[in-house]
Amino acid sequence: MIRSSLSRSSDRPGRGGGVRGSGRRCARLAAWLGASLLSVAAGAQELGAGVQLHGFASQGAVWTSDHRVGGAKDGSVGLDLRELGANLSWRPDPDWLLSGQVLARWAGDTDDGEPRVDYAYIDRSWRLHEASRVGIRLGKIKNPYGFFNVTRDVAHTRPGVIMPQSIYLDQIRNFVLAAPGIALHGDSDMSFGSLSWQLGALRPQVDDADMEYMFLLGDMPGRFQGTNSWMGQVLVEPDGGRWRLGLSVGELNMRYRAGSPDPLRPGRHTLPTWALSVEHNDEHWSVTGEYAQTTNQARGYGPIMDPNPDNTLEAWYVQATRRFGQDWRAYARYDVLYLDRKDRDGARFAVLTGRPGHTRYARDWVLGMRRDIDRFALWLEYHHVDGTAWLAGIDNPDPQRRKRAWDMVLLQAAWYF
Amino acid sequence: MRATLLILLLLASGLAHAVEIIAHRGVPEQALTLASARAMFGMRLTQWSDGQAVRVFVLPDRHPTHVAFVKTRLDLYPYQLRQNWDRLVFSGMAQAPIEVADEREMLRRVAATPGAIGYVRKAGSHDQVKSLAIQ
Repeated sequence: MIRSSLSRSSDRPGRGGGVRGSGRRCARLAAWLGASLLSVAAGAQELGAGVQLHGFASQGAVWTSDHRVGGAKDGSVGLDLRELGANLSWRPDPDWLLSGQVLARWAGDTDDGEPRVDYAYIDRSWRLHEASRVGIRLGKIKNPYGFFNVTRDVAHTRPGVIMPQSIYLDQIRNFVLAAPGIALHGDSDMSFGSLSWQLGALRPQVDDADMEYMFLLGDMPGRFQGTNSWMGQVLVEPDGGRWRLGLSVGELNMRYRAGSPDPLRPGRHTLPTWALSVEHNDEHWSVTGEYAQTTNQARGYGPIMDPNPDNTLEAWYVQATRRFGQDWRAYARYDVLYLDRKDRDGARFAVLTGRPGHTRYARDWVLGMRRDIDRFALWLEYHHVDGTAWLAGIDNPDPQRRKRAWDMVLLQAAWYF
Repeated sequence: MRATLLILLLLASGLAHAVEIIAHRGVPEQALTLASARAMFGMRLTQWSDGQAVRVFVLPDRHPTHVAFVKTRLDLYPYQLRQNWDRLVFSGMAQAPIEVADEREMLRRVAATPGAIGYVRKAGSHDQVKSLAIQ
């Protein structure tokens, strides 16, 4: 495994810091929390003149039987799972909306709490007639992908403590999450229900620490750069959302700028993707299922990479949630990821690379419960995973040391306003 | 048997109309379609037919009047509305409704805010708001 200590150190300060530098982080955390609490104490959701302030905070604890997740090592408890965010929005007029959100996120060695702009854009919309609107968004825009991508960092909106990793891979979260660009959007209210859509042109962000582990099989000397891409989604919600149906389609592109020296040549990745989402909502039950495919086409990297044929990642999950009154809910999920749908058990990969086949798939059984107390919520979640495909490469760089079957328990507390 | 059914029907319709949608007297609409009401309380429809801004007022999620309103007038479940708001608010796509503590404050704020819409158990004729039917 090639590990470069120099690559990208400038654009990811504190990368790989893990527990190191925690004093600086604590100070930053305290400042953030202080600012958030202060604004709430001032009763500041609605600031007047069409301005609103909202925020959220979460803290997780994780225990794993094996591997490193969220700062936890084999058999120990990690507390390196944390999110803090706040957003401001201003509607000066019914047709205009300006909004922006700042986010800090901690997740093992893959995210170090550096505050960043989650989104910031201007939205102008026009009313076509009483029941239809179209608009245009310009700035750093959230990419609609599946039901949950746009708010994946807000604990209350997630289907569990961690996102279903098949479709919402944490390893490439920033890549898919939001990007500078322009998007057209619209929504219509019809007698059968509502329809909304967004279609955007963007340049994806490629600052995930794990991108090279994911797409180049290791940390390489060069760096990725996002190139022209597009993403769109149509969401149909018959009968006020009793059913919800979504189709997300897009193509994300990036090129690789080789370092020197670098065993790879400057190459490019083309990643066409689609996801189908279905949900049924009842008074007590919600059942959600999503299925996605993403094809990984790598070109121009030279003899080391070029023999690799295109492979298609296949991901799906089904989750059933039962609500007990307004404050308790329990859920079960089965979440499946295959990095190559034509080599699901990774056998061919193992022969070609000498790495274990289980690094190419993950089948995750999840059981969880959630308790809501006004704007606070507590979660307890258990995972039994067969496979290691979605483990963070930067936290678990040696594939030979990964264990095929492992368990994980997560606790989370979150608050929002 | 027929009398029991009649009583049940009357009770059901009484419950269905127990919560009234109210609006500021300056809004042009006299009635809303179910789709428009859902779009307004869903924070997607941001203006009235004359162009003035819609200002949505709601009670807390667990307030009995809120629960009754969402179930009987919007034909939704409160958790759906909450999920929808959170998704929009934390992705920058819309703003949140303004939460008031109780029905007295609801009446006062809706009466005083141009473009306001909200709901109460029963608005007396003395209240300075208009009542909107759902068609």
